[in-house]
Amino acid sequence: MLSRWKQRLIKSRLTPEILKRIDSAPMQLNSAGFDDWGLDPETVKVALAAIRWLYTDYFRVETVGIENVPEGRVLLIANHGGQVPIDGLLISMSMLLDANPARIVRGMVERWVPALPFISTLFMRCGQMVGDHRNCRELLEKDQAVMVFPEGTRGSGKTIYHRYQLQRFGTGFIRLALETKTPIIPVAVVGCEEIYPSIADLKPLARLLKIPYVPITPFFPLLGPLGAIPLPTKVTLRFGKPIRFDADPDSSDAEVEKMVDQVKDALKAEINKGLKKRRERLFTGSAK
Amino acid sequence: MNAKPAILITGAAGGLANIVVQMLAKRFRLVGVDPRGMPMGRKFPGEFHQVDYNHRKMAEIFRSHKFDTMLHLGRVSTTSRAGRNERFNLNVLGTQNLLELAAKYHVKNVIVFSTFHVYGAHQYNHIHITESDPLRASQTFPELLDVTELDHVSRMFLLQHREIRTIILRPVNVIGPRIQNQISKMLRAEYCPVLMGYDPMLQFIHENDIALALGLCLDSDRSGVYNVAGEGTVPYTRAIEMAGSKTLPVPHFLAYPALGILQRLKLSFPKHLADYFRYPTVVSDAAFRKDFGYEPTVTTVKALEGLRIHDPESVQTDALPDHEESETLEDSVVGKNLH
Repeated sequence: MLSRWKQRLIKSRLTPEILKRIDSAPMQLNSAGFDDWGLDPETVKVALAAIRWLYTDYFRVETVGIENVPEGRVLLIANHGGQVPIDGLLISMSMLLDANPARIVRGMVERWVPALPFISTLFMRCGQMVGDHRNCRELLEKDQAVMVFPEGTRGSGKTIYHRYQLQRFGTGFIRLALETKTPIIPVAVVGCEEIYPSIADLKPLARLLKIPYVPITPFFPLLGPLGAIPLPTKVTLRFGKPIRFDADPDSSDAEVEKMVDQVKDALKAEINKGLKKRRERLFTGSAK
Repeated sequence: MNAKPAILITGAAGGLANIVVQMLAKRFRLVGVDPRGMPMGRKFPGEFHQVDYNHRKMAEIFRSHKFDTMLHLGRVSTTSRAGRNERFNLNVLGTQNLLELAAKYHVKNVIVFSTFHVYGAHQYNHIHITESDPLRASQTFPELLDVTELDHVSRMFLLQHREIRTIILRPVNVIGPRIQNQISKMLRAEYCPVLMGYDPMLQFIHENDIALALGLCLDSDRSGVYNVAGEGTVPYTRAIEMAGSKTLPVPHFLAYPALGILQRLKLSFPKHLADYFRYPTVVSDAAFRKDFGYEPTVTTVKALEGLRIHDPESVQTDALPDHEESETLEDSVVGKNLH
């Protein structure tokens, strides 16, 4: 049962059409209305109602080729940047607001996230899971849409000088795709890599704090909390054509690397197309 | 009467035994053992001995009855007031003794009730833990060593005595109107403590489904280790809501030290179980469903909502604890019969 203020929030920010879309998203819920990973569509609605303005008004997200996302199981492979995983958040919102049918994106969170109070609970209710290949495999087998950033923190933590340069990809996602025969959609996120223009990474401090990186931007930590507000860049999400591999899941590492490169090249092409359209108009330029 | 094969039921004074004895009485001659006496007003439908599982009298019971089957339900819960060493003696050495006797006196079937607690509530846990995953219960809390070791001695028995059909069940939280374990009691209370900001997915199995699972084990000719779960999983707070209780949020940085102090005063449930209300330990019972054709009959919602319904059969047991998750194992028994 949602509390009164949550119900009011949903009513004021989401149209009945959006609510219907969320309800129609393919989910496998039990008698209590949850899946075993803790997904709760009601919490998804509340969260979307609370931050939909980020998508529509702040980052003014536009999508290209979202119709390429097939029904059933799918792996969304995207470039990672901008220090904070707002790119993942915006992809998830696009799949709720613009995809047909709406999909609840199953993202993977770091293994330390379950230790955080409130945040861990919110993430799990919104369909996120601990980054474990067994979680990933089973959700794909249940025909869910799983989002992977194969660059990991190598991508999100990079400085502004390296923006849109794809870092080394992990290879696990290809094996998962082969094992579960899942089509891969490259998703180019254009605009998110400049939200926190990191000019340096304080590596010794990061090591001390046991976190992957500590970014320094022209505004952070100089302006304190004000500097922690992301820049309101314009974001475009470009969904590429599905890539399907029909190979032995037990292919050699060399063969898997080739497939990784194929996905990476497709993603790079999609990013470059977007960047060409946007040019350096960070705050206004559409990459559509 | 003697035409029926004999079955030894450990933890016979507990609530779990109470639920399955009716079913078992139809096909077995029942012999119950328990270090505690039978609860007042409840009669064991067969021969009952109040005896410690380590006591030499156990051998005499095996010798005189020629058991066909042993059903080992008698695990002293980690919520018991017994300390770590006492629990190790009762649970691990006690189980080892029972299993050795079962082998010596040619028992044909052995069913051991372990628990899903063996997997441990760890923040790295993936969802749908299988039987082949490591048992990390004692990794963070050595207090849970007896839980994993009971499981371990049973698995070694399974490997070493292939001639004896052995099934080790690892059921999730058993709940029901006749069950008096810690989780059932917590959910029946007016307020239920919650670690603020944490709301892990929990699994519950209704007492009827545990009886059903046991029946399937008796009918089968398989051996093995199996998780047993109910229909679905629910967040802890939703389970509390469904059971008709209210949440009492406590910040975790206060809860752990507080539980440590309360535990030392023997007033509360142990600190090492608090993690099960912080991180999910969701198991997969796919293997049990596949091999035994198990299908839970009571939905999780129904099981939780029915927790407060007063079952006429539960009248005589209500005031007394369940052995499987007992809090009131008599201190005298613990102290006296160990050697």
